[in-house]
Amino acid sequence: MASSFLSRESTIAPPGYNRFLVPPAALAVHLSIGQVYAFSTFNLPLTKVLGITHSVPGDWNLKEIGWIFSIAIAILGVAAAVFGRWVERAGPRKSMFVAALCFGSGFIVSALGIHYHWLWLVYLGYGVLGGCGLGIGYISPVSTLIKWFPDRPGMATGMAIMGFGGGALIAAPLSVILMNHFKTAASNGVLETFVTMGVIYFMFTMIGVYSVRVPAADWKPEGWTPPLKPPPLVTQSLVAVEVAWRTPQFWLLWVVLCMNVTAGIGVLSQASPMIQEIFTGRVTPEMAAGFVGLLSLFNMVGRFFWASTSDYIGRRNTYFVFFALGILLYSTVPSIGYAGSIPLFVAAFVIILSMYGGGFATIPAYLRDVFGTLHVGAIHGRLLTAWSVAGVLGPVLVNYIRQYQIDQGVPKAQAYSVTMYIMCGLLLIGFICNFCMRPVREQYHYRAPGEGGLRSA
Amino acid sequence: MKTRGLILWLAVGIPLLWGVFRTLQNAMKLF
Repeated sequence: MASSFLSRESTIAPPGYNRFLVPPAALAVHLSIGQVYAFSTFNLPLTKVLGITHSVPGDWNLKEIGWIFSIAIAILGVAAAVFGRWVERAGPRKSMFVAALCFGSGFIVSALGIHYHWLWLVYLGYGVLGGCGLGIGYISPVSTLIKWFPDRPGMATGMAIMGFGGGALIAAPLSVILMNHFKTAASNGVLETFVTMGVIYFMFTMIGVYSVRVPAADWKPEGWTPPLKPPPLVTQSLVAVEVAWRTPQFWLLWVVLCMNVTAGIGVLSQASPMIQEIFTGRVTPEMAAGFVGLLSLFNMVGRFFWASTSDYIGRRNTYFVFFALGILLYSTVPSIGYAGSIPLFVAAFVIILSMYGGGFATIPAYLRDVFGTLHVGAIHGRLLTAWSVAGVLGPVLVNYIRQYQIDQGVPKAQAYSVTMYIMCGLLLIGFICNFCMRPVREQYHYRAPGEGGLRSA
Repeated sequence: MKTRGLILWLAVGIPLLWGVFRTLQNAMKLF
């Protein structure tokens, strides 16, 4: 009975179903798994599990704890790539349910790790199990939304992926409230918070499991007909995932995403110390926390804004804007720092972070334009390995170059200038790859059995 | 269908708005 409820067939929407009931299902999943962006709120409490009010010998250190987030993000990319094809076959309801199980139980297993003070169990729980939930959950609603909104695929996927950015905005204050609530003389509350969040996120994701629907095979929005002459780069043909990832277009888009994410994630990971060091004595840690919050907010808003805009100006042009405007802003940031203008500095970075989020949210629609809807979820899953690479590359670039500059005697306030110019270089590579994008050659198009040609679906 | 849609949108919208509100409160410290 449970397997029939979870099957793809039982999620096919009846005629007349309102398609605007589907985005909340996607949002429920993404708002849950977006918690990962706020994991740093647990970093300090996890260093005081034994000492409760302060770290004592035997407590974990920040370096060891930092690996939990890194493992989770790396597994996200791997899981999305490995399970993408299964997600397409199983349908959104079953894959959302598996994501809920993995992500929720990841918290519970980690809580056990905290209880016994076994760090490897926390790595296994939140990092590996939770990471699988992140990867499967991230891609599970994407192809469903694209099929429901063939007229506005950017807006639809932007709405869902906006939830991933929004998840951190909920999880950060929620974690603090829960840890304060559970704090006692015998516990700093982090273990109980993990258990509670595991249950909350499992139940919240179940809203998506229950309410998600796929359109019938012949369904179209009322009054909508596919354009007779589609815009350049928008295909009406289909490309199977096994073929798509062997095309130059896949790897050009891989680099496009990787460069866009590297430029944003490096800043996001160092935002608080960066603004304090560039404006030494003028920005307090509390103000820096406000800056980080503002960046998260624009990261979320940018996902919806830019993905929706891409429906009107085209995916390729949207990425041209990201790269050209990104180069302009990154190259002016050092001058803004020298001029000492905090408002201009903040304005530049909120725009940069809006484009970072926009890059994530626009890529599924770009893939749909280039490869069609056949395996768009699975292709998206494989492309997300670019995120795993960028997740390491971005912070490493910012941290190491800053440290190298300081070691060479450069004042801290100016230690970020070279990084900004390197980011410009990365964005230029992304710009060139986006410029090289052409439609997929006909030889790669999917043909049904009997039609000949490539058809490894 | 309309009631179901309203409930679903409220279920995801209320936590999201709460998060946005808390973030904006925090962001105000910057100015």
